[in-house]
Amino acid sequence: MKLTRRAFTAGLAAAGLASPAIAQTFQRDITMVVPWAAGGGTDTLARTLVKNAKQYLGVGINVVNRTGGTGAVGMQSVSAARPDGYTIGLITFHLSAYRLMGLSDLSYRDFEPIALLNRTPAAFSVKADSPFKTLKDLVDYAKANPGVVTVANSGAGANTHLSAAILAKNNGIKFSFVPFDGGAPARTAMVGGHVTSLVSGPDEVLQYVKTGQVRILAMVGEQRHPSFPDVPTIAEAGFPNKEIVYDWRGIGAPKGLPPAISKTLSEGFEKMAKDPDFIALMDQAALARVYMNGADFTKFLAGMETSLEPALAEVGLLKK
Amino acid sequence: MLDFSLLLQGFGTVLSGPNLLAIVLGSIGGIIVGALPGLTATMAIALLIPFTFSMDPTTGICMLLAVYAAGIYGGGIASILIRTPGTPAAVVTVLDGYPMAQKGMAGQALGLATIGSGTGGLFSAICLALFAPILAAFALRFSAPEYFAVAVLGLAVTITLTGRSPLKGAVSASMGLLIAMIGLDPIGGFPRFTFGLTELTGGISFVPMLIGLFSLSEAFRQIELIETTERMTAKIGRVLPTIGELIVHRWTMLRACVIGIVVGIIPSMGPETAAFVSYSETKRNSKEPEEFGKGKPDGVVAAQTAENASTGGDVLPMITLGVPGDAATAVLMGALTIHNLEPGPLLFRDHPDVVHMLFAGLIVANVAFLVIGLVGARQFAKVLNLDRRYLVPAIMLCSLIGSYAINNNPMDVWVCLIFGFIGYLMQRYDYPVSPIVLAQILGAMAESNFRRSLAMSQGDLGIFATRPIAAVLLLLAVVAAVSAIRRQMQPGGARP
Repeated sequence: MKLTRRAFTAGLAAAGLASPAIAQTFQRDITMVVPWAAGGGTDTLARTLVKNAKQYLGVGINVVNRTGGTGAVGMQSVSAARPDGYTIGLITFHLSAYRLMGLSDLSYRDFEPIALLNRTPAAFSVKADSPFKTLKDLVDYAKANPGVVTVANSGAGANTHLSAAILAKNNGIKFSFVPFDGGAPARTAMVGGHVTSLVSGPDEVLQYVKTGQVRILAMVGEQRHPSFPDVPTIAEAGFPNKEIVYDWRGIGAPKGLPPAISKTLSEGFEKMAKDPDFIALMDQAALARVYMNGADFTKFLAGMETSLEPALAEVGLLKK
Repeated sequence: MLDFSLLLQGFGTVLSGPNLLAIVLGSIGGIIVGALPGLTATMAIALLIPFTFSMDPTTGICMLLAVYAAGIYGGGIASILIRTPGTPAAVVTVLDGYPMAQKGMAGQALGLATIGSGTGGLFSAICLALFAPILAAFALRFSAPEYFAVAVLGLAVTITLTGRSPLKGAVSASMGLLIAMIGLDPIGGFPRFTFGLTELTGGISFVPMLIGLFSLSEAFRQIELIETTERMTAKIGRVLPTIGELIVHRWTMLRACVIGIVVGIIPSMGPETAAFVSYSETKRNSKEPEEFGKGKPDGVVAAQTAENASTGGDVLPMITLGVPGDAATAVLMGALTIHNLEPGPLLFRDHPDVVHMLFAGLIVANVAFLVIGLVGARQFAKVLNLDRRYLVPAIMLCSLIGSYAINNNPMDVWVCLIFGFIGYLMQRYDYPVSPIVLAQILGAMAESNFRRSLAMSQGDLGIFATRPIAAVLLLLAVVAAVSAIRRQMQPGGARP
């Protein structure tokens, strides 16, 4: 990983000089573990976020991809690292589900949440030539023809799958779920006309909506998505629900971080989240930027487990 | 559709000073990384991404494309010379490449591998430039039932790869299928055969397993030879193939080109599957199938050409649909996204200049590694004359470092060691190793897509008969399996 470190430092040295006050907290570069593969959406987000870290923390942040165990290996390594601030990690939605699904004992309780960066709702979409114009059309049809409507999603237990399962449960309908290995192949199946509809992150279908190949029917969430002001929320479409399952990405540190370091990191990431390069990438990709500090993030994570439990039970993945 | 002026403009951009330099450096780097066991093109691209931050996006992307194309080619070099595939795709090159080198034809094998890779790569890059939108529409017609059918076809032709004893081949393949079961159930999402280990929920890591089975097991085997075999200077032979030689291989090359690009276009199937399908088809159509596996030049050409022919196919769904064809293109996609050029239908509409620059870059990258590979082949071959006492520990070290570095996961070092031992035992008792790998890839693909298809059809098996592409592919699978079995049953007939 020497190569990456050298590259980053070289790149970052040019980016700007740190103020002496914050330089005292960190003497060397920080390592940030990304539990997903290099080049994926989460990795891209992470790398863009820390691109200008030197400006805000006085030291650079090196991204290390540590994959395996559906993200658990990388997240576990962060929770077990020495709580000195030099090892932090990108934590994702899966952390909310491991314990409930019986995959690992790891949960947000093993981390000191630093910042929430993104919270993505699930969007229901169909191909442009589909007869379904609104979510109500789709639900009514599914009610009349149980099991006939096929819904592609990005994988069993993903926020997309669970959001659709909650919709089905609340309205007494039955969908046939077709899980794929990630959002992109699921979207391809819908665009190719192989499934009735898709439930995915709105960012996954953004390009296809712009080229007019795909129509978003509705989106889960309390408010409309800023990148899609014309798309109704699920409540506006006539199907209000209390349990909102979001996909989320944030920064976590090992439990037991000294308060001073925690404060420096929080302040640094708050500034990085407002960095123009990061904002540009997130907006271009239609990833909703939602900043929360450590305390709010912890509350959000506690609430997420409460929403997830009935949803996982509904699809038979709850392990208790 | 194709816009010639844009393509010309793309060539103009790519051939200008810094971009061309980036391609040449990328090709050299890609060949080296590809040839070193344990380091893959995917890793090289991932490591280079931060470097490209400070570059002009065009230069950065040119360099990454060159690393990608040359890395896939470079994997074959180590396959031929030291029987350790540098990249997963090069597994098939081992089958005939290494025996050729043992027979003193290392130069010829390297030359044919280079020409094959270059031709395949160029063919697919040109196809990509000419027909991208049409090919993208073709890719959209494929979904779960078709993927299932392709995987079954692949498993059916594995029979032709089984070495001397079909039964032992079947044992290997079954082991691969079993390994594919480990990890999260692809449809239900619950853990299978993980024994409560969090590390196993993602399944057995593929690349460390491969490094163990091929590189480490070979290092173990070579240890046996250190004391007993005398050192000698290996014959390298002529590198540049003659025109006559190329004419002999023309059909093999053409077949490999077509197979490579078709397999490449199908998302989630990459160069390894392409090489393997091409190899078994060539063997099936050959007049002397019994010579395959003993150092037949045709085998090397079939494998290497298809490997690189799949690169254009893999890039295509990535650029047009935003679906990466394999791990390396997934990383390329991330690199494009970071440079504010997110692949997908909008890239074509809003940045046609960039898309054509990508096509031109891929074409030039293929020419670059072809030239560099031919010039360097004689130097690469010198590794044959290294003292085993230095070479073997170096291979072991590379294998273990490579296994760790791919995911930065210590568990993977164990995976590599355990499979290294398994691979060593298998060779000792004459069980073919490649069916494990292929059955693992194809088994996982067949299972998840079979169940996905049934989810689409609400449990109706008719979905495989009513979709024409799937039905034809399944029919081909039956034909391939039956003909392979019949050939083996013939008394005195060729036993592959």
